[in-house]
Amino acid sequence: MSASGAEALTPVALSKEGTDRLIIQWSDGHRSVYTWQHLRNHCPCAGCREERSKPPDPFRILKPSELIPLAPLRMPPVGRYAYKIVWSDGHDSGIYTLEHLRSLCQCPQCSVRAAHPAQAK
Amino acid sequence: MQPPGGPPQKIALPNIHHVIAVASGKGGVGKSTVAANLALALAQISPPGKGEMGGVGLLDADIYGPSVPIMLGVREVVDQRTTPLPLERYGLKLMSMGFLVPPVQAVIWRGPMVHRALVQFLTDINWGQLDYLVIDLPPGTGDAQLTLTQTAPLSGAVIVTTPQDVALIDARKGLEMFRQVRVPVLGIVENMSYFQGEDGKRVHLFGHGGGQKLAAEAGVSFLGEIPIDPRVSECGDQGEPIVHKYPDSGVAKAYQALAATVIEQLGRTDKGPELPEVQL
Repeated sequence: MSASGAEALTPVALSKEGTDRLIIQWSDGHRSVYTWQHLRNHCPCAGCREERSKPPDPFRILKPSELIPLAPLRMPPVGRYAYKIVWSDGHDSGIYTLEHLRSLCQCPQCSVRAAHPAQAK
Repeated sequence: MQPPGGPPQKIALPNIHHVIAVASGKGGVGKSTVAANLALALAQISPPGKGEMGGVGLLDADIYGPSVPIMLGVREVVDQRTTPLPLERYGLKLMSMGFLVPPVQAVIWRGPMVHRALVQFLTDINWGQLDYLVIDLPPGTGDAQLTLTQTAPLSGAVIVTTPQDVALIDARKGLEMFRQVRVPVLGIVENMSYFQGEDGKRVHLFGHGGGQKLAAEAGVSFLGEIPIDPRVSECGDQGEPIVHKYPDSGVAKAYQALAATVIEQLGRTDKGPELPEVQL
């Protein structure tokens, strides 16, 4: 029942950068950067997970809501352990735990670590 | 299962000083008995008019199998036109699904309905000012637990187990759930720990030291042992918990000690900051 290092991490501040980025400042001083599209692509809800597990369908017909550029409308906290994102297409069932958000960080340092996990060790 | 539209915003309960969840991974460990007697023991320490807010409430969050009505002597369905909720018994404020549905009627609900009912119990019931609201959770790590950890301002959770391995395995899961959702675990209480004969000798019917071992492994406090006494179940069935009916019994004294330890733990526990909001 060991606590992972990231478990104790908490966000100190969240802010929007431009129209396409979210910044999270963490309690350990790390500054995470995310594009909204990246967050949506990694939505942890059951429906999106299932969708990602399927092979891509080249003949998929887009829904009208998918033709409008996607934007986050709200990002309320869930308890003390997660955030949810309410998207402009109505999707809002993904609960992003703090650990998940931290693991999705796209800052240059974390991107290198994600691309080359062996080197990071 | 998540309710339609996702989880709601956190509920504010400014008139309730501490909200304490009583949980277990496994059913049948005496969680409702512990919740009811702990609430009464807390009320003996903190009766209405004393303490920061005064008074104690007991919310039965087991929608499918509510036990609070029978344990606290409420035998009839409550007519809300004539009887306001929460009910009051032995100085406790009480709310349970069992007050609204006859005992023979099954509540066959999916998760979102359970979620809605629990949120209403917290927000639509006039709890008044309370020092402690004890929430008796159903067993497991399902909808009720998720709703309460996502919406209620929990001060901490008390995990109930019995000494045998089969209960400890599930208690560990319950404990891990609270950790994952960052609700402080106040500690573990071991119910049905031992039977004490008239000669004072303790017989450990279900093994010994399991709760203490789990607490040490998990790095949480061990809150105490509650002995077995046949009067516990008699009192529960008669609707007057042992802490109220036999306040000088060994079991009642164990609950009084548990209440004092829980209060001490609440004083030491830091819930941590609320998550910051972001304007989009």
